[in-house]
Amino acid sequence: MTLTTEPNARQYDPVSLAPMAFWAKSPEEREEDYAVLRAERPISWHPPAEGSMMPPQEGGGFWAVTRHADIVAVSKDPETFCSGEGIQMEDVPLDILEAVSSFLATDAPRHTKLRKLVSAAFTPKRVKKIEEQIKAQATRLVDQLIETGDCDFVEHISRRLPQWTIFEMVGVEDQETREIATRAADGMVSWGDEDVRQGREPAELLTESLMALINVALELAEARRAEPRDDLMTNLVQAEVDGEQLTDEEIAAFFCLLSIAGNDTTRNTTSSTMRALTLNPDQRALLREDYEGRITVAIDEFVRWATPVMTFRRTATRDVELGGQQIKQGDWVVLFYSSGNRDPEVFDDPMRFDVTRSPNPHIAFGGGGPHYCMGNQLAKTQLRAIFWELLTRVPDLEAGEPVYLAGNFMQAIKSMPCRLNL
Amino acid sequence: MPRIVVDYDKCTGLGICESIAPDVFEVDDDGSLLILEESPDETRRGELQEAVDGCPTGALSIED
Repeated sequence: MTLTTEPNARQYDPVSLAPMAFWAKSPEEREEDYAVLRAERPISWHPPAEGSMMPPQEGGGFWAVTRHADIVAVSKDPETFCSGEGIQMEDVPLDILEAVSSFLATDAPRHTKLRKLVSAAFTPKRVKKIEEQIKAQATRLVDQLIETGDCDFVEHISRRLPQWTIFEMVGVEDQETREIATRAADGMVSWGDEDVRQGREPAELLTESLMALINVALELAEARRAEPRDDLMTNLVQAEVDGEQLTDEEIAAFFCLLSIAGNDTTRNTTSSTMRALTLNPDQRALLREDYEGRITVAIDEFVRWATPVMTFRRTATRDVELGGQQIKQGDWVVLFYSSGNRDPEVFDDPMRFDVTRSPNPHIAFGGGGPHYCMGNQLAKTQLRAIFWELLTRVPDLEAGEPVYLAGNFMQAIKSMPCRLNL
Repeated sequence: MPRIVVDYDKCTGLGICESIAPDVFEVDDDGSLLILEESPDETRRGELQEAVDGCPTGALSIED
Protein backbone atom coordinates (compact mmCIF):
# COMPACT_ATOMS: atom_id res chain seq x y z
CA MET A 1 0.00 0.00 0.00
CA THR A 2 1.41 3.32 -0.99
CA LEU A 3 -1.70 5.30 -0.26
CA THR A 4 -2.25 6.16 3.34
CA THR A 5 -4.44 8.73 5.00
CA GLU A 6 -1.40 10.17 6.74
CA PRO A 7 -0.67 13.08 4.34
CA ASN A 8 -4.29 14.18 4.48
CA ALA A 9 -3.99 14.73 8.17
CA ARG A 10 -1.34 17.33 7.40
CA GLN A 11 -3.18 19.27 4.74
CA TYR A 12 -3.60 22.88 5.61
CA ASP A 13 -7.17 23.80 6.44
CA PRO A 14 -8.97 25.93 3.84
CA VAL A 15 -10.01 28.32 6.62
CA SER A 16 -6.67 29.87 7.36
CA LEU A 17 -5.91 31.39 10.73
CA ALA A 18 -2.33 32.20 9.78
CA PRO A 19 -2.47 35.38 7.64
CA MET A 20 -2.06 38.83 9.14
CA ALA A 21 -5.27 39.74 7.31
CA PHE A 22 -7.22 37.30 9.49
CA TRP A 23 -5.94 39.03 12.62
CA ALA A 24 -6.73 42.47 11.29
CA LYS A 25 -10.44 41.58 11.07
CA SER A 26 -12.96 42.40 13.76
CA PRO A 27 -13.76 39.80 16.44
CA GLU A 28 -17.21 39.26 14.87
CA GLU A 29 -15.66 38.52 11.47
CA ARG A 30 -13.18 36.08 12.96
CA GLU A 31 -16.01 34.33 14.76
CA GLU A 32 -17.53 33.41 11.38
CA ASP A 33 -14.42 31.38 10.58
CA TYR A 34 -14.23 29.87 14.06
CA ALA A 35 -17.86 28.76 13.75
CA VAL A 36 -17.00 26.74 10.64
CA LEU A 37 -13.98 25.13 12.28
CA ARG A 38 -15.80 24.31 15.53
CA ALA A 39 -18.63 22.66 13.66
CA GLU A 40 -16.70 20.83 10.96
CA ARG A 41 -13.00 20.55 11.82
CA PRO A 42 -12.51 21.34 15.50
CA ILE A 43 -8.81 20.40 15.40
CA SER A 44 -7.35 21.78 12.18
CA TRP A 45 -3.85 22.16 10.76
CA HIS A 46 -2.59 25.59 9.64
CA PRO A 47 0.53 27.06 8.06
CA PRO A 48 2.90 29.01 10.31
CA ALA A 49 1.56 32.37 11.43
CA GLU A 50 2.42 35.14 9.00
CA GLY A 51 4.69 37.91 10.10
CA SER A 52 6.73 35.73 12.38
CA MET A 53 10.07 37.10 13.34
CA MET A 54 11.84 33.90 12.45
CA PRO A 55 11.77 32.05 9.13
CA PRO A 56 9.08 29.35 9.38
CA GLN A 57 10.21 25.75 9.66
CA GLU A 58 9.86 23.51 6.63
CA GLY A 59 6.47 21.80 6.70
CA GLY A 60 5.74 23.67 9.88
CA GLY A 61 2.48 24.94 11.17
CA PHE A 62 0.15 24.56 14.09
CA TRP A 63 -2.98 22.77 15.18
CA ALA A 64 -5.87 25.08 15.97
CA VAL A 65 -8.05 23.92 18.87
CA THR A 66 -11.37 25.69 18.59
CA ARG A 67 -13.87 23.78 20.75
CA HIS A 68 -14.35 24.61 24.41
CA ALA A 69 -14.06 20.98 25.56
CA ASP A 70 -10.79 20.38 23.68
CA ILE A 71 -9.25 23.63 24.94
CA VAL A 72 -10.06 22.57 28.49
CA ALA A 73 -8.66 19.07 27.92
CA VAL A 74 -5.36 20.43 26.56
CA SER A 75 -5.09 23.04 29.31
CA LYS A 76 -5.56 20.43 32.01
CA ASP A 77 -2.93 18.09 30.63
CA PRO A 78 0.33 20.03 30.92
CA GLU A 79 2.39 16.85 30.83
CA THR A 80 1.27 16.15 27.27
CA PHE A 81 0.88 19.78 26.19
CA CYS A 82 3.73 21.77 27.68
CA SER A 83 4.45 25.51 27.82
CA GLY A 84 8.23 25.33 28.16
CA GLU A 85 8.79 25.39 24.40
CA GLY A 86 6.88 28.60 23.85
CA ILE A 87 3.43 30.05 24.33
CA GLN A 88 2.99 32.25 21.27
CA MET A 89 1.58 31.02 18.00
CA GLU A 90 4.57 32.33 16.06
CA ASP A 91 8.18 31.48 16.52
CA VAL A 92 9.72 34.03 18.83
CA PRO A 93 13.49 34.12 19.26
CA LEU A 94 14.29 32.14 22.39
CA ASP A 95 16.07 35.01 24.11
CA ILE A 96 13.00 37.21 23.73
CA LEU A 97 10.74 34.42 24.94
CA GLU A 98 12.84 33.98 28.05
CA ALA A 99 13.16 37.70 28.60
CA VAL A 100 9.43 38.33 28.75
CA SER A 101 7.51 35.22 29.59
CA SER A 102 8.96 34.26 32.94
CA PHE A 103 7.09 31.35 34.50
CA LEU A 104 4.34 31.48 31.89
CA ALA A 105 6.61 29.68 29.45
CA THR A 106 7.81 27.06 31.94
CA ASP A 107 6.51 23.75 33.22
CA ALA A 108 6.47 22.04 36.59
CA PRO A 109 8.46 21.86 38.80
CA ARG A 110 10.11 25.20 37.99
CA HIS A 111 6.81 26.79 37.02
CA THR A 112 5.32 25.91 40.40
CA LYS A 113 8.18 27.48 42.32
CA LEU A 114 8.46 30.65 40.25
CA ARG A 115 4.75 31.29 40.09
CA LYS A 116 4.43 30.99 43.83
CA LEU A 117 6.84 33.90 44.30
CA VAL A 118 4.18 36.27 43.03
CA SER A 119 0.91 34.34 43.33
CA ALA A 120 0.81 34.98 47.08
CA ALA A 121 0.12 38.64 46.27
CA PHE A 122 -3.04 37.73 44.34
CA THR A 123 -4.88 35.64 46.94
CA PRO A 124 -8.41 36.61 48.02
CA LYS A 125 -7.14 38.13 51.26
CA ARG A 126 -4.52 40.24 49.56
CA VAL A 127 -6.93 41.39 46.88
CA LYS A 128 -9.44 42.30 49.59
CA LYS A 129 -6.75 44.43 51.22
CA ILE A 130 -6.25 46.51 48.10
CA GLU A 131 -9.95 46.62 47.18
CA GLU A 132 -10.71 49.89 49.00
CA GLN A 133 -7.82 51.59 47.22
CA ILE A 134 -9.02 50.27 43.87
CA LYS A 135 -12.49 51.69 44.57
CA ALA A 136 -11.05 55.05 45.54
CA GLN A 137 -8.98 55.07 42.38
CA ALA A 138 -12.05 54.22 40.27
CA THR A 139 -13.89 57.14 41.88
CA ARG A 140 -11.02 59.49 41.04
CA LEU A 141 -10.91 58.31 37.44
CA VAL A 142 -14.62 58.97 36.93
CA ASP A 143 -14.24 62.39 38.64
CA GLN A 144 -11.61 63.20 36.03
CA LEU A 145 -13.73 61.77 33.22
CA ILE A 146 -16.63 64.03 34.16
CA GLU A 147 -14.25 66.98 34.23
CA THR A 148 -12.80 66.05 30.84
CA GLY A 149 -16.08 65.37 29.08
CA ASP A 150 -16.38 63.44 25.83
CA CYS A 151 -13.06 61.75 25.13
CA ASP A 152 -11.24 58.54 24.28
CA PHE A 153 -12.59 55.99 26.75
CA VAL A 154 -9.48 53.78 26.53
CA GLU A 155 -7.10 56.59 27.35
CA HIS A 156 -9.17 58.08 30.16
CA ILE A 157 -10.72 55.02 31.80
CA SER A 158 -9.78 51.56 30.55
CA ARG A 159 -6.02 51.85 30.70
CA ARG A 160 -5.85 53.87 33.87
CA LEU A 161 -7.22 51.56 36.55
CA PRO A 162 -5.24 48.43 35.66
CA GLN A 163 -2.12 50.54 35.25
CA TRP A 164 -2.55 52.00 38.70
CA THR A 165 -3.37 48.64 40.27
CA ILE A 166 -0.58 46.51 38.85
CA PHE A 167 2.17 49.08 39.33
CA GLU A 168 0.97 49.90 42.83
CA MET A 169 1.35 46.20 43.65
CA VAL A 170 4.69 45.77 41.90
CA GLY A 171 6.06 48.97 43.40
CA VAL A 172 6.51 51.35 40.45
CA GLU A 173 5.82 54.65 42.11
CA ASP A 174 5.92 57.65 39.82
CA GLN A 175 3.41 58.17 37.05
CA GLU A 176 6.05 58.91 34.43
CA THR A 177 7.71 55.53 34.93
CA ARG A 178 4.31 53.83 34.98
CA GLU A 179 3.58 55.39 31.60
CA ILE A 180 6.93 54.28 30.16
CA ALA A 181 6.33 50.73 31.36
CA THR A 182 2.73 50.66 30.12
CA ARG A 183 3.69 51.87 26.67
CA ALA A 184 6.47 49.31 26.53
CA ALA A 185 4.14 46.54 27.68
CA ASP A 186 1.72 47.58 24.92
CA GLY A 187 4.57 47.50 22.42
CA MET A 188 5.27 43.88 23.34
CA VAL A 189 1.84 42.81 22.12
CA SER A 190 1.41 45.31 19.27
CA TRP A 191 4.10 44.32 16.80
CA GLY A 192 1.50 42.87 14.43
CA ASP A 193 -0.16 46.28 14.06
CA GLU A 194 1.10 48.56 11.31
CA ASP A 195 -0.25 51.73 12.94
CA VAL A 196 1.64 51.04 16.12
CA ARG A 197 4.80 49.99 14.29
CA GLN A 198 4.91 53.16 12.21
CA GLY A 199 7.34 51.77 9.67
CA ARG A 200 9.43 49.83 12.15
CA GLU A 201 10.06 46.11 11.77
CA PRO A 202 8.23 43.89 14.28
CA ALA A 203 11.53 42.85 15.87
CA GLU A 204 12.54 46.49 16.21
CA LEU A 205 9.41 47.43 18.14
CA LEU A 206 9.72 44.32 20.26
CA THR A 207 13.35 44.95 21.16
CA GLU A 208 12.75 48.61 21.89
CA SER A 209 9.81 47.79 24.16
CA LEU A 210 11.67 45.01 25.88
CA MET A 211 14.68 47.21 26.64
CA ALA A 212 12.41 49.84 28.14
CA LEU A 213 10.73 47.28 30.40
CA ILE A 214 14.04 45.78 31.47
CA ASN A 215 15.41 49.21 32.33
CA VAL A 216 12.45 50.03 34.54
CA ALA A 217 12.62 46.59 36.17
CA LEU A 218 16.31 46.71 36.97
CA GLU A 219 16.24 50.23 38.33
CA LEU A 220 13.37 49.27 40.59
CA ALA A 221 15.11 46.06 41.67
CA GLU A 222 18.18 48.09 42.59
CA ALA A 223 16.10 50.50 44.63
CA ARG A 224 14.37 47.68 46.52
CA ARG A 225 17.61 45.90 47.28
CA ALA A 226 18.84 49.10 48.85
CA GLU A 227 15.57 49.84 50.62
CA PRO A 228 12.99 47.04 50.86
CA ARG A 229 9.28 47.91 50.86
CA ASP A 230 6.02 46.02 51.05
CA ASP A 231 5.65 45.31 47.34
CA LEU A 232 6.16 42.59 44.74
CA MET A 233 9.55 43.83 43.57
CA THR A 234 10.84 43.55 47.12
CA ASN A 235 9.54 39.97 47.26
CA LEU A 236 11.36 39.19 44.03
CA VAL A 237 14.73 40.64 45.01
CA GLN A 238 14.56 38.78 48.34
CA ALA A 239 13.25 35.49 46.93
CA GLU A 240 15.20 32.29 46.76
CA VAL A 241 14.39 29.38 44.48
CA ASP A 242 16.25 26.14 45.15
CA GLY A 243 18.58 28.05 47.42
CA GLU A 244 19.46 30.64 44.81
CA GLN A 245 18.42 34.24 44.37
CA LEU A 246 16.73 35.23 41.16
CA THR A 247 19.01 36.67 38.50
CA ASP A 248 18.44 40.16 37.09
CA GLU A 249 17.14 38.53 33.91
CA GLU A 250 14.60 36.50 35.86
CA ILE A 251 13.45 39.51 37.83
CA ALA A 252 13.08 41.52 34.64
CA ALA A 253 11.08 38.68 33.08
CA PHE A 254 8.70 38.67 36.03
CA PHE A 255 8.30 42.40 35.61
CA CYS A 256 7.56 42.07 31.88
CA LEU A 257 5.00 39.36 32.48
CA LEU A 258 3.23 41.28 35.26
CA SER A 259 3.25 44.50 33.22
CA ILE A 260 1.70 42.86 30.18
CA ALA A 261 -0.73 40.54 31.96
CA GLY A 262 -1.73 43.19 34.48
CA ASN A 263 -2.40 45.98 31.99
CA ASP A 264 -3.77 44.72 28.72
CA THR A 265 -6.27 42.19 30.00
CA THR A 266 -8.40 44.27 32.34
CA ARG A 267 -8.05 47.30 30.07
CA ASN A 268 -9.54 45.50 27.10
CA THR A 269 -12.27 43.88 29.14
CA THR A 270 -13.27 47.32 30.41
CA SER A 271 -13.43 48.76 26.89
CA SER A 272 -15.22 45.79 25.41
CA THR A 273 -17.78 45.77 28.22
CA MET A 274 -18.51 49.48 27.87
CA ARG A 275 -19.17 48.96 24.18
CA ALA A 276 -21.39 45.93 24.88
CA LEU A 277 -23.37 47.87 27.50
CA THR A 278 -23.85 50.67 24.97
CA LEU A 279 -25.14 48.29 22.31
CA ASN A 280 -27.32 46.38 24.79
CA PRO A 281 -29.23 48.95 26.83
CA ASP A 282 -31.46 46.23 28.29
CA GLN A 283 -28.41 44.62 29.86
CA ARG A 284 -27.22 47.93 31.24
CA ALA A 285 -30.68 48.48 32.73
CA LEU A 286 -30.50 45.11 34.48
CA LEU A 287 -27.27 46.10 36.17
CA ARG A 288 -28.53 49.55 37.08
CA GLU A 289 -31.60 48.04 38.74
CA ASP A 290 -29.59 45.79 41.05
CA TYR A 291 -25.85 46.24 40.73
CA GLU A 292 -24.85 44.45 43.92
CA GLY A 293 -27.18 41.56 43.23
CA ARG A 294 -26.15 41.03 39.62
CA ILE A 295 -22.58 42.16 39.17
CA THR A 296 -20.82 38.98 40.30
CA VAL A 297 -22.54 36.89 37.62
CA ALA A 298 -22.28 39.74 35.10
CA ILE A 299 -18.51 40.05 35.44
CA ASP A 300 -18.02 36.55 34.10
CA GLU A 301 -20.02 37.58 31.06
CA PHE A 302 -17.89 40.73 30.69
CA VAL A 303 -14.80 38.56 30.67
CA ARG A 304 -16.28 35.92 28.33
CA TRP A 305 -17.44 38.63 25.96
CA ALA A 306 -14.06 40.38 25.89
CA THR A 307 -11.75 37.34 25.94
CA PRO A 308 -8.72 39.66 25.92
CA VAL A 309 -6.21 36.86 25.48
CA MET A 310 -7.22 35.20 22.21
CA THR A 311 -4.56 32.51 21.94
CA PHE A 312 -1.87 30.63 23.78
CA ARG A 313 0.23 27.82 22.44
CA ARG A 314 1.31 24.46 23.82
CA THR A 315 3.75 21.93 22.39
CA ALA A 316 2.99 18.20 22.37
CA THR A 317 5.49 16.22 24.41
CA ARG A 318 4.41 12.89 22.86
CA ASP A 319 2.24 11.48 20.06
CA VAL A 320 -1.37 11.81 21.12
CA GLU A 321 -4.85 11.79 19.65
CA LEU A 322 -6.90 14.92 20.09
CA GLY A 323 -10.43 15.27 18.78
CA GLY A 324 -9.81 12.58 16.17
CA GLN A 325 -6.52 14.05 14.92
CA GLN A 326 -3.12 12.47 15.37
CA ILE A 327 -0.86 14.99 17.07
CA LYS A 328 2.83 14.21 16.82
CA GLN A 329 5.44 14.86 19.45
CA GLY A 330 6.78 18.38 18.95
CA ASP A 331 3.66 19.65 17.17
CA TRP A 332 2.40 23.07 18.06
CA VAL A 333 -1.10 23.20 19.47
CA VAL A 334 -2.77 26.62 19.66
CA LEU A 335 -5.73 27.20 21.96
CA PHE A 336 -8.30 29.61 20.52
CA TYR A 337 -9.99 30.96 23.64
CA SER A 338 -12.08 33.42 21.61
CA SER A 339 -13.59 30.50 19.75
CA GLY A 340 -14.11 28.36 22.84
CA ASN A 341 -15.96 31.23 24.48
CA ARG A 342 -18.47 31.28 21.61
CA ASP A 343 -18.96 27.51 21.49
CA PRO A 344 -22.70 26.79 21.19
CA GLU A 345 -22.15 23.36 22.79
CA VAL A 346 -21.44 25.20 26.03
CA PHE A 347 -23.12 28.60 25.76
CA ASP A 348 -26.75 29.06 24.74
CA ASP A 349 -27.00 31.79 22.16
CA PRO A 350 -23.26 32.51 22.48
CA MET A 351 -23.34 35.70 20.42
CA ARG A 352 -25.71 37.29 22.90
CA PHE A 353 -24.22 39.50 25.64
CA ASP A 354 -26.23 38.33 28.64
CA VAL A 355 -25.25 39.69 32.05
CA THR A 356 -27.42 37.09 33.78
CA ARG A 357 -25.75 34.11 32.07
CA SER A 358 -25.26 31.40 34.67
CA PRO A 359 -23.47 29.08 34.80
CA ASN A 360 -20.81 30.72 32.68
CA PRO A 361 -17.87 28.33 32.33
CA HIS A 362 -15.89 30.69 30.09
CA ILE A 363 -12.20 30.10 29.49
CA ALA A 364 -11.06 33.71 29.30
CA PHE A 365 -8.82 33.13 32.33
CA GLY A 366 -7.58 29.92 30.74
CA GLY A 367 -9.02 26.45 30.35
CA GLY A 368 -7.84 25.30 33.79
CA GLY A 369 -4.61 23.64 34.77
CA PRO A 370 -1.44 25.17 36.20
CA HIS A 371 -1.39 28.32 34.03
CA TYR A 372 -4.86 29.55 35.00
CA CYS A 373 -4.81 33.33 35.42
CA MET A 374 -3.69 34.16 38.92
CA GLY A 375 -4.94 37.73 38.55
CA ASN A 376 -8.54 36.65 38.01
CA GLN A 377 -9.82 37.96 41.31
CA LEU A 378 -7.87 41.18 41.00
CA ALA A 379 -9.36 41.71 37.55
CA LYS A 380 -12.87 41.07 38.84
CA THR A 381 -12.37 43.50 41.71
CA GLN A 382 -11.29 46.21 39.30
CA LEU A 383 -14.19 45.59 36.92
CA ARG A 384 -16.68 45.69 39.79
CA ALA A 385 -15.26 48.99 41.02
CA ILE A 386 -15.05 50.81 37.70
CA PHE A 387 -18.46 49.77 36.40
CA TRP A 388 -20.11 50.79 39.67
CA GLU A 389 -18.70 54.28 39.21
CA LEU A 390 -19.56 54.41 35.51
CA LEU A 391 -23.10 53.08 35.80
CA THR A 392 -24.05 55.25 38.74
CA ARG A 393 -22.33 58.50 37.82
CA VAL A 394 -22.33 58.56 34.02
CA PRO A 395 -25.28 56.21 33.47
CA ASP A 396 -25.93 57.32 29.90
CA LEU A 397 -22.34 57.12 28.70
CA GLU A 398 -22.19 55.85 25.13
CA ALA A 399 -19.14 54.14 23.72
CA GLY A 400 -18.57 54.60 19.99
CA GLU A 401 -16.93 52.37 17.42
CA PRO A 402 -13.81 50.64 18.81
CA VAL A 403 -10.53 50.65 16.89
CA TYR A 404 -9.04 47.17 17.23
CA LEU A 405 -5.38 46.27 17.42
CA ALA A 406 -4.22 43.93 14.67
CA GLY A 407 -2.47 40.86 16.01
CA ASN A 408 -2.98 37.26 17.02
CA PHE A 409 -2.55 37.45 20.78
CA MET A 410 -4.47 40.25 22.48
CA GLN A 411 -7.99 41.20 21.53
CA ALA A 412 -7.21 44.82 22.18
CA ILE A 413 -9.09 48.06 21.63
CA LYS A 414 -6.65 50.84 20.83
CA SER A 415 -9.14 53.65 21.12
CA MET A 416 -12.88 54.15 21.46
CA PRO A 417 -14.66 57.50 21.58
CA CYS A 418 -17.21 58.08 24.32
CA ARG A 419 -20.02 60.56 24.88
CA LEU A 420 -20.98 61.19 28.48
CA ASN A 421 -24.53 62.49 27.83
CA LEU A 422 -24.65 64.15 31.24
CA MET B 1 -19.07 13.39 56.75
CA PRO B 2 -17.30 14.76 53.67
CA ARG B 3 -13.53 15.00 53.91
CA ILE B 4 -11.56 17.42 51.74
CA VAL B 5 -8.48 16.14 49.96
CA VAL B 6 -5.97 18.52 48.34
CA ASP B 7 -3.53 17.47 45.64
CA TYR B 8 -0.72 19.88 46.47
CA ASP B 9 1.10 19.05 43.23
CA LYS B 10 -1.79 20.62 41.37
CA CYS B 11 -2.83 23.42 43.74
CA THR B 12 -1.44 26.82 42.71
CA GLY B 13 -3.04 28.77 45.53
CA LEU B 14 -5.52 30.70 43.38
CA GLY B 15 -7.97 30.83 46.27
CA ILE B 16 -11.15 30.36 44.28
CA CYS B 17 -12.17 27.78 46.92
CA GLU B 18 -11.57 30.42 49.57
CA SER B 19 -13.92 32.83 47.85
CA ILE B 20 -16.61 30.11 47.96
CA ALA B 21 -16.06 28.84 51.53
CA PRO B 22 -13.64 31.10 53.42
CA ASP B 23 -14.13 29.27 56.72
CA VAL B 24 -12.95 26.00 55.15
CA PHE B 25 -10.21 27.11 52.76
CA GLU B 26 -7.54 29.75 53.22
CA VAL B 27 -4.55 30.62 51.07
CA ASP B 28 -1.93 31.86 53.49
CA ASP B 29 0.55 34.65 52.98
CA ASP B 30 3.11 32.49 51.25
CA GLY B 31 0.52 31.30 48.73
CA SER B 32 -0.12 27.84 50.21
CA LEU B 33 -3.60 26.46 50.69
CA LEU B 34 -4.61 25.65 54.25
CA ILE B 35 -7.64 23.55 55.10
CA LEU B 36 -9.20 25.12 58.15
CA GLU B 37 -11.90 22.52 58.54
CA GLU B 38 -10.95 19.13 57.16
CA SER B 39 -14.30 17.42 57.67
CA PRO B 40 -17.01 20.04 57.50
CA ASP B 41 -20.59 19.28 58.38
CA GLU B 42 -22.74 17.33 55.92
CA THR B 43 -24.87 20.45 55.37
CA ARG B 44 -21.88 22.09 53.67
CA ARG B 45 -21.61 19.48 50.93
CA GLY B 46 -23.13 21.70 48.24
CA GLU B 47 -20.62 24.46 48.85
CA LEU B 48 -17.72 22.03 49.00
CA GLN B 49 -18.77 20.47 45.73
CA GLU B 50 -18.88 23.97 44.24
CA ALA B 51 -15.32 24.54 45.42
CA VAL B 52 -14.20 21.20 43.98
CA ASP B 53 -15.88 21.88 40.63
CA GLY B 54 -14.72 25.49 40.61
CA CYS B 55 -11.04 24.66 41.10
CA PRO B 56 -9.39 25.38 37.72
CA THR B 57 -6.40 23.22 38.55
CA GLY B 58 -8.47 20.23 39.64
CA ALA B 59 -6.62 20.09 42.95
CA LEU B 60 -9.60 19.36 45.23
CA SER B 61 -11.70 16.30 45.83
CA ILE B 62 -14.12 15.02 48.47
CA GLU B 63 -13.81 11.66 50.18
CA ASP B 64 -16.51 10.16 52.30
